[in-house]
Amino acid sequence: MRNVTLGLVVIAAVAAVSCNRGGPPVADAPGKPTIALVLKTLNHPYFVDMRRGAQEAADRLGVTLQVQAAEREIDVEKQMQIVENLIQTGIQALAITPSGSREIVSALVKARDAKVPIIVVDTRLDPKAAADAGVHAETFVGSDNYEGGKLAGEYLVKATGGKAHVGILEGIPGHETGDSRLRGFRDAVKGATAVTIVASQPANWERDQGFNVFQNMLQAHPEIDSVFACSDLMALGALEAISAAHRTGSIKVVGFDALDDAKKAIAEGTMAASVAQFPAEMGRVAIESAVKVIRGEKIPDDIKVKLELVTRDNAK
Amino acid sequence: MNRARQFGTLIGLVALCFVLWILTPYFLTVSNLLNVAEQTSINAIVAVGMTFVILSAGIDLSVGSIVALSGVILGMALRDGQPLMLALTVALAVGVVSGAVNGLLISHGDLPPFIVTLGTMSIARGAALLVTEGRPVSGFAASFRVLATGRVGFVPAPVIITAAVYLLAHLVLTRTTFGRYVYAIGGNEEATRLSGVAVRFHKAMIYAVSGLMSAVAAVILTARLNSAQPIAGMMYELDAIAATVIGGTSLMGGEGTLGGTLVGALIMGVLRNGLNLLGVSSFLQQIVIGGVIVVAVLLDTVLKRKHRA
Repeated sequence: MRNVTLGLVVIAAVAAVSCNRGGPPVADAPGKPTIALVLKTLNHPYFVDMRRGAQEAADRLGVTLQVQAAEREIDVEKQMQIVENLIQTGIQALAITPSGSREIVSALVKARDAKVPIIVVDTRLDPKAAADAGVHAETFVGSDNYEGGKLAGEYLVKATGGKAHVGILEGIPGHETGDSRLRGFRDAVKGATAVTIVASQPANWERDQGFNVFQNMLQAHPEIDSVFACSDLMALGALEAISAAHRTGSIKVVGFDALDDAKKAIAEGTMAASVAQFPAEMGRVAIESAVKVIRGEKIPDDIKVKLELVTRDNAK
Repeated sequence: MNRARQFGTLIGLVALCFVLWILTPYFLTVSNLLNVAEQTSINAIVAVGMTFVILSAGIDLSVGSIVALSGVILGMALRDGQPLMLALTVALAVGVVSGAVNGLLISHGDLPPFIVTLGTMSIARGAALLVTEGRPVSGFAASFRVLATGRVGFVPAPVIITAAVYLLAHLVLTRTTFGRYVYAIGGNEEATRLSGVAVRFHKAMIYAVSGLMSAVAAVILTARLNSAQPIAGMMYELDAIAATVIGGTSLMGGEGTLGGTLVGALIMGVLRNGLNLLGVSSFLQQIVIGGVIVVAVLLDTVLKRKHRA
């Protein structure tokens, strides 16, 4: 009897879920093009905002949007599976934020073979890997992380009067996004001879790791008076570590992403600044571009989404 | 009993496929089924090693980290232009040695497998990060990628490799004395020892098999992504344990089959694929997959209790 029971349970589970899913299934909407948006993850406010922007654009333009993401941001193999599976459903365009700039190319080869146009969002493809595999993205929609890092660096130089001991919290090594921000920051502070980078360690984009790594950094280098974190989650972790060391206010923390929590900290004065990206705008532009490609219209190769430095003056 | 259990899991898989066939026109196509088989291959192979370990009443939490370590060593050898055969041999050796270290600590050190493999999980991960400085390794000759993109007829290479691994492992488990000892150790370790079996040696071997399987999975993963990542394979231990347990292997050891494990891995693969095709939210997907694991084990326990009563 157990055979039957297990079968029934599985059927019940799948049936329950399929009744629950948001929006109509792809197959039931003939004539209405379906665009897939594959994100790195959905457990980060940044990507949740991106989905919101994309959904609004999809509703406005009358296309069906399928949003999928891996459970964990770094799981590029899972992201690859999602792309492979979505190609099976006959999507007309694929917008993707690659979890790995090189690794995802293998999946995009399959999209190309299925003649699905590709829109790359937020994180660039590795140009060499893409060229080697013959993968061509219709466009890249995103802000320039290098420029953002530079913005943060220039701000820090100005805010410290050109004299600072900086600790840096890096993202996951080898990821295009974090590497570009880091390069931008380093280039911006290069000119200021009295600004020294005393420590630079990865905290893998995570808040708790930002806390731990910065706490250790502060132990080893008590002279640190400024922090650049390649993302706000790590910056917020560092803020906790600073507060635990009773040094709130004496260390200038500059982050990236302008998350709500970070903006609040900036308004309260515990954090100095953050570089704002506009993920909802990216999602919107990505879907609009995909629709244009489906209609056979021409779009630019590179669409820059604005960046903005949030400081106490403009934080809400 | 065993056979019935395995049969039950198979019926679960067929029922799942049937439901997906009704719900979406994209599921039951040749290209999608091959797609699922290819996606399942990595977890299925890691689960072979996990089945050996769990059959012997052990557990191996280090498989995902060994996947990463073998993968980056393979990647570095290939990047530096070593011949393919040499690179593969070194990668597999890394897996076997890592597994054997687990096994020796567990058998000769008389330590609990959970603790030992928890430790080596961290050590192997750290080693993978250390040798690569945390960066992915890439830049391989095109010939290597055949292991992922190649086809025999219309069947993808990873599926062929998986089939070969299962056939071989099944023969080892059912036709060799080593295989019998795996069951015996899991059934009653003390009795097995008293009957003169070199339990320690065989236990160490079991973990070496698990390490080898992780390395084979690493080869496919590296070829698939065309890159070796030191952060690859996180949580693979949980997927492999899930496939093994859904497949009817008892966590108490001594009971289970590789056929069951393969079906267990396929259930997870089909479920993920189907939920993607249906456009189910990523969050709900996690709940469903977790639910299936719990229900499978629950049914197993309830039925065994009935059986005994």
